[in-house]
Amino acid sequence: MKKYILLAIFSLQLLSCSKDDFLNQPLRGRQELDDYFSNAENAELFVNSVYTQVNGESWYEIEFFRQICEMATDDNWAGNTEQPRPDITGIAAFNVFAGSGYINSFWENTYIGITRANIALERIPAINMDENLKERLMGEARFLRAWYYFDLARNFGGVPIITTYTELLQPDITNTTRSSVDQVYDFVEAELALAIEELPLKSQYAAEDAGRATKGAAQTLLAKAFLYREKWSLAQNMAQQVISSGEYQLEPSFENIHSVHNHHGVESIFEVEMITNFQFTDIGGTISTTSGSRADQGWGWCTPSSDLENAFLSENDQVRLRSTIIKHGEPVYGDPAVTSFNAALASNKSGRINRKAYIPVADRESPYTIGQHPLPVIRFRLADVILMHAEASFFAGDEQAARQSLQQIRNRVSLTTDMNMGGNTLRDAIWKERRLELALEQERFYDLKRQKVNGVSRFATIMGTNGSFVQYNTRVSTDPFETTNNGEAQNKGALFNPGVHLLWPIPPREIQLSGGVITQNPGY
Amino acid sequence: MKLIHKLLIFTFLCSALSYAQTRVSGTVVDDQGAALPGVSILIKGSTDSAVTDLDGTYSLNVSNNAVLVFSFIGFATQEIAVSGKQVIDIRLKPDEQVLDEVVVIGYGAVARDKISSSVVTVKGNELTKMTASNAAESLQGKAAGVQVISGGGNPGASPQILIRGITSNNGTQPLIVLDGVPLAQGTSLNLLNPADIESFQILKDASASAIYGSRASNGVVLVTTKRGAEGKPTINVDFSQGYQTLQKIKMAGASEYMQVMNLRRTNDGNAPLYNPANYSTSTDWWDETIENYAPILNFNIRAAGGTDKLKYAASVSYFKQESNYAKGSYEKITGRFNTDFKISDKVTLKQDLNPRLEKYGNTPDQLYNILRIDPLTPVYLPQDERTGNKYSIYEGSNNQVPNPVASIARLFNETNFFGLVSNTQLNYEIIDGLNVNSQFGLNINQARQDVFNPTYYITPNDQRQINNVSRRVDENFNYVWNNTINYTKNFGKHYVNLLGGVLFDSQKYNYVAAYRENVPNDENSDLWYLDAATGQGMSVGGVEAVETIFSGIFRGIYSYDNRYFLTATIRADESSKFAKGNRLGVFPSISAAWDIDSESFFKADFVNNLRLKAGYGQIGNQNIDRNGQFFAVGSGNYVLGGDRVVTNFLSQFGNPNLKWETVEDINLGLNATLFDNAWDFSLEYYQKTSKDLLFYVELPNYTGIPGSVAQNVGSFQSRGWDFQVGYNHKWGDFTMDLNLNVSTNKSRATELAPGNEQLFGQYREDLGGRYIKMTEQGSTVGLFYGFQTAGIFQNQTQINSHASENGQLMQPNAQPGDLIFVDKNRDGVLDDKDLTVIGNPFPDFYGGLTANFGYKNFDLSMQWYGSYGNDVFNYPRTFIASGTQDVNVAAGTLGRVWTPENPSAEFPRLTLNDQNGNYQRPSSLFIEDASYLRLRNLQIGYTFKFKGSEKLRLYVSGQNLLTITKYSGFDPEVSSGGNVINDFGVDYGRYPVARTYLMGINLTL
Repeated sequence: MKKYILLAIFSLQLLSCSKDDFLNQPLRGRQELDDYFSNAENAELFVNSVYTQVNGESWYEIEFFRQICEMATDDNWAGNTEQPRPDITGIAAFNVFAGSGYINSFWENTYIGITRANIALERIPAINMDENLKERLMGEARFLRAWYYFDLARNFGGVPIITTYTELLQPDITNTTRSSVDQVYDFVEAELALAIEELPLKSQYAAEDAGRATKGAAQTLLAKAFLYREKWSLAQNMAQQVISSGEYQLEPSFENIHSVHNHHGVESIFEVEMITNFQFTDIGGTISTTSGSRADQGWGWCTPSSDLENAFLSENDQVRLRSTIIKHGEPVYGDPAVTSFNAALASNKSGRINRKAYIPVADRESPYTIGQHPLPVIRFRLADVILMHAEASFFAGDEQAARQSLQQIRNRVSLTTDMNMGGNTLRDAIWKERRLELALEQERFYDLKRQKVNGVSRFATIMGTNGSFVQYNTRVSTDPFETTNNGEAQNKGALFNPGVHLLWPIPPREIQLSGGVITQNPGY
Repeated sequence: MKLIHKLLIFTFLCSALSYAQTRVSGTVVDDQGAALPGVSILIKGSTDSAVTDLDGTYSLNVSNNAVLVFSFIGFATQEIAVSGKQVIDIRLKPDEQVLDEVVVIGYGAVARDKISSSVVTVKGNELTKMTASNAAESLQGKAAGVQVISGGGNPGASPQILIRGITSNNGTQPLIVLDGVPLAQGTSLNLLNPADIESFQILKDASASAIYGSRASNGVVLVTTKRGAEGKPTINVDFSQGYQTLQKIKMAGASEYMQVMNLRRTNDGNAPLYNPANYSTSTDWWDETIENYAPILNFNIRAAGGTDKLKYAASVSYFKQESNYAKGSYEKITGRFNTDFKISDKVTLKQDLNPRLEKYGNTPDQLYNILRIDPLTPVYLPQDERTGNKYSIYEGSNNQVPNPVASIARLFNETNFFGLVSNTQLNYEIIDGLNVNSQFGLNINQARQDVFNPTYYITPNDQRQINNVSRRVDENFNYVWNNTINYTKNFGKHYVNLLGGVLFDSQKYNYVAAYRENVPNDENSDLWYLDAATGQGMSVGGVEAVETIFSGIFRGIYSYDNRYFLTATIRADESSKFAKGNRLGVFPSISAAWDIDSESFFKADFVNNLRLKAGYGQIGNQNIDRNGQFFAVGSGNYVLGGDRVVTNFLSQFGNPNLKWETVEDINLGLNATLFDNAWDFSLEYYQKTSKDLLFYVELPNYTGIPGSVAQNVGSFQSRGWDFQVGYNHKWGDFTMDLNLNVSTNKSRATELAPGNEQLFGQYREDLGGRYIKMTEQGSTVGLFYGFQTAGIFQNQTQINSHASENGQLMQPNAQPGDLIFVDKNRDGVLDDKDLTVIGNPFPDFYGGLTANFGYKNFDLSMQWYGSYGNDVFNYPRTFIASGTQDVNVAAGTLGRVWTPENPSAEFPRLTLNDQNGNYQRPSSLFIEDASYLRLRNLQIGYTFKFKGSEKLRLYVSGQNLLTITKYSGFDPEVSSGGNVINDFGVDYGRYPVARTYLMGINLTL
């Protein structure tokens, strides 16, 4: 028996010696952050993750929020009259309640992008690696962070500014208040100035890096920020730098800008590339489904309005009209397979579909699936910059430069330009050109907010009970589709209140979780 | 001073009386009332004794303060104080009561009277009266201070046990210890066959549970399984079969639905949506999906017996419960083989094996959709429009609620579960009273989930173009190794029991999962395997996680003269969940009891036992994610240069400073047994205070932090009363046994971390993106949070007068018929600062009544459970009278909504735009008092007795036959998930608890 006792004591002894081994249970299957930033490769993989929040990793995270903003303009209807979705149609009609899932999701995912950028910017400098690559990666993260803050400011106004990772670990992080909208834009401008220095030109990137942030992208974003803040000369100058960089050209043919065959094309300044890869979901496009016809495997959201069509017709702009709007019963321009398009009239308010999001039948992946469409999402293209240049030049008093830029855009689509225009006529022509050129490209919503006549946002003249768009739809329009489908009320936009709706509501969750330190925008 | 005087006089009288001699006589009978000859009657503290004669009578001379000790083999020994009585008749309780008196406590067992902490026992035979797969379900209402929260009527659903309220924000389930082996947090009692359970010991206070240290702060449930006894084999066969029914929820038919939808629009000035002439269908979705009768079956066979060298108990059981849907079932087969070997006089070996198979044929979760889908939609497409496969023959609804019949048809999700519990105990008695014990408990299990998702097309938003098949295997490999040494000795009036031990506990988890698309055939289930899939879309995953605890324990129990009892324990734990330096937690406890009736001065002769006890202890909680301390990097995808690239990001914010959550617990109790043990009372008060609360803090989203972060902050306090009274009596052939228990509890957040003065739960996007549950410093945890309503605006004048001091309307968009929201902070503006507490999901008190009656061979038992003062957030009320999102409404809605003609309606007016936000804000409109009283079980049986102990019992029973409540939802007993604080009392229309009707037999051979 004695030997058993000895054996027991011995084994106990053995086990107490290995007690630390028994209790040290590391994290398995995932790397730890403190060990992670050890080499250039990891730094690059981490910066890659900052990009994903530009468009979101699923259709509802960010992309569909942008579509809802489009629906709220005069270019589109909510469109889908089959699905009762007050969380979508309500926002589109300015019957907005704080707490919309899409607005919340945009806020949440944008800040996730900011935190990823903050971590990258804080941890990469300490890595022992090629200094040029380090500078580029820092520039990419910095550009993207600026993009995110810019996007927040134009949607919500002032927001909390978080610029480091370390501060997230402090207990008083929950006491952060909203900065003013000017502080946010100031931060964006300062960061972009740095990023412009850090980032290479588009042509300096290797082919496998196409899609990374470039000097041109940072300059474009900075020009846009200047434009939004009505810093006209700065905007004109910055846009000019992009134009004269020689890095970009207008796509010769308008119809080729949005094409599955034209990734990172000559006109593209910053885009989220989309590919078909059935092994991985959500690295392909979604908008072709969300905005597709319900009779064509789509969901039927965000359908172009007759008001937008009329804008093209008033300029006799057939080239851009046919590559912007598909109409029920008519052939699809550029798709020989469809001679009479079915826009699913019973569930489509306007009987129209976004051509820029449409993929011709022969070019479709099989099976045709949301999250797999190889149609790139172009966030910045040269035409946008040229029109910013036109607008900024006009307001900076340089009408000649404004006309030249305007003409450049119209020449491509074979429209003549009155080179004697000036004053409000020229201004309105530039604004209209912007609407036609960039229609359905998610710029209109912000353009209407920032463009002002006598200090009044153009949104207020278009929307509201007496707004021109509302008046057109309720009194003038004889559009055979829109006036006969009551599934979406014809007076869309009547509820617009300029004192409220120029900003979206802050997610109520932020107000609750911050104990009221974060405040709501007026009217919500 | 006066008190001391009185005491002195009292003591004097007592001693004076003790000199008086008297003659006592009486009759001793058994529990059936039959005379017991040969019972020995001893005068305590002397050698004087007597023995009963053939008629069970006795007589002897005693002093007035003497105590008589009645003992007889096979019966519980009883002590009765003479206290001047001349006739003492007594009823002895049979042998199992004697066994009762040894109570299993942590790492050992002691006589019940040695326990000075709060332990409540529920016997196995009380649990098997209900036919349920999960023994915890039968525990409801059986013990004071133990709240069982139903997991719903889903086949195989596991209820939650909540002992004495909430002291932790994170994990409220008690630690379950099966035959000495602590199981992993959250282990379902589904692993046991209820018929194998000898008893549950519920350790309610820290002085009982501190020996379990770091995992015991939610209380401990010790489960003891039945073991064999020496003697001829006994065989038990139990069989029951029956069916379950659900009470139908009546929704609007086509005509009423169209009227409501049109009114929603016309009330807002829009055109009506439906022309009733165009619709002929009126689908009753309940009838299309819910079957009236779902069978339930339980079979169990058990044999036990043995010799002095080898004892055994073996059982096999089968249980099957089907859901009331076309699919969904739960099946379980368990075996248990408990053996005791006596290797030598000194060495005993116990080996238990408990294999089991469980199968969850996944039950659809469609009730919510059944309520919401419009009645205008036919179930199926017309024959001539059916072009797709058999999952595509269904009509898409008009209001975009997924067709529930279609959803059920394409649901293929099955989980097979295999588990084995092995428990080996080797005991060596070194000298009399000194034992070393080594126990190795192994718990391995594997769950294999197989899913097949076929291709189908219903609408553009409701389709799948490529089918997929997936399999996931989860494995747990857990072991404990307990090494203890125990010394027990009586020295005269002193009793000492000392225990020390070293313990190892390891839980290893791993999973592997694979998914692949494109199986050749949607309808041939023989091909629904990964091998058959050929698609590009595929994913695999797998990882491992381990948590370990190393502990040392010590316990000392001392009693003097069976009057004074003292227990002290201490446990030290080191856990791998915390970073080095924060691992050690030390958990001490002490408790004492005083048997007042054993004192010589105590003269109330109707009192059989009177005990006062008090305890204090510290216990811990480590219920956080195994990886809570780590900052982890996750990965994803992006596209650059035409190819997919890998992305890395911070996927989890860790906290290396995490440490134990500690709970301090005080328990005071009084137990009494009166009138020949006919009455049995227990009253206890407790207060549990936690500190360094472990919880997941949700930071504002502007931090960009994914998920929430584990932190140690704040303090919760839980206190309340447990009251229990039992009564048993026999009048001739009629026996009665009643047990009533009532408990109160209030759990408050006494302190929260700076910056986290309010904790939120249950985010509801459709209610304005707000949280509907809130825990606030100083208040009860998990309260309902929202806007208070003050009725409905009857006219514009009322709307105009609901304004700030300067005339600013608070609800400018309101119209007559809309809800009035209260400006709680009186600042003249209605905004999120007016959010307030609108309800409390926790009851003022809850309790159970168990009643057993017998008459000759008939028996009847009843079990009631009730809860009073609890509110429920009735989520279906957010649409059931409004048709929000054009969903269907309850039948009779037109009469329940506000119209100028119906000004006293319960619900606001119908509106599409809802500009007042009647249904876009959490408010008291959705809160209801859900107090209820439920007849959990009613059973009537008849027993045929044969020679010897052989008998056959036949019974019929009904479960959940009657529920008395004012609650308008389906089931007042609701919880929306596993987190009690944030989920309890929120009704999302889950599978309700069914009524069950059963017939059964119990055969004993």
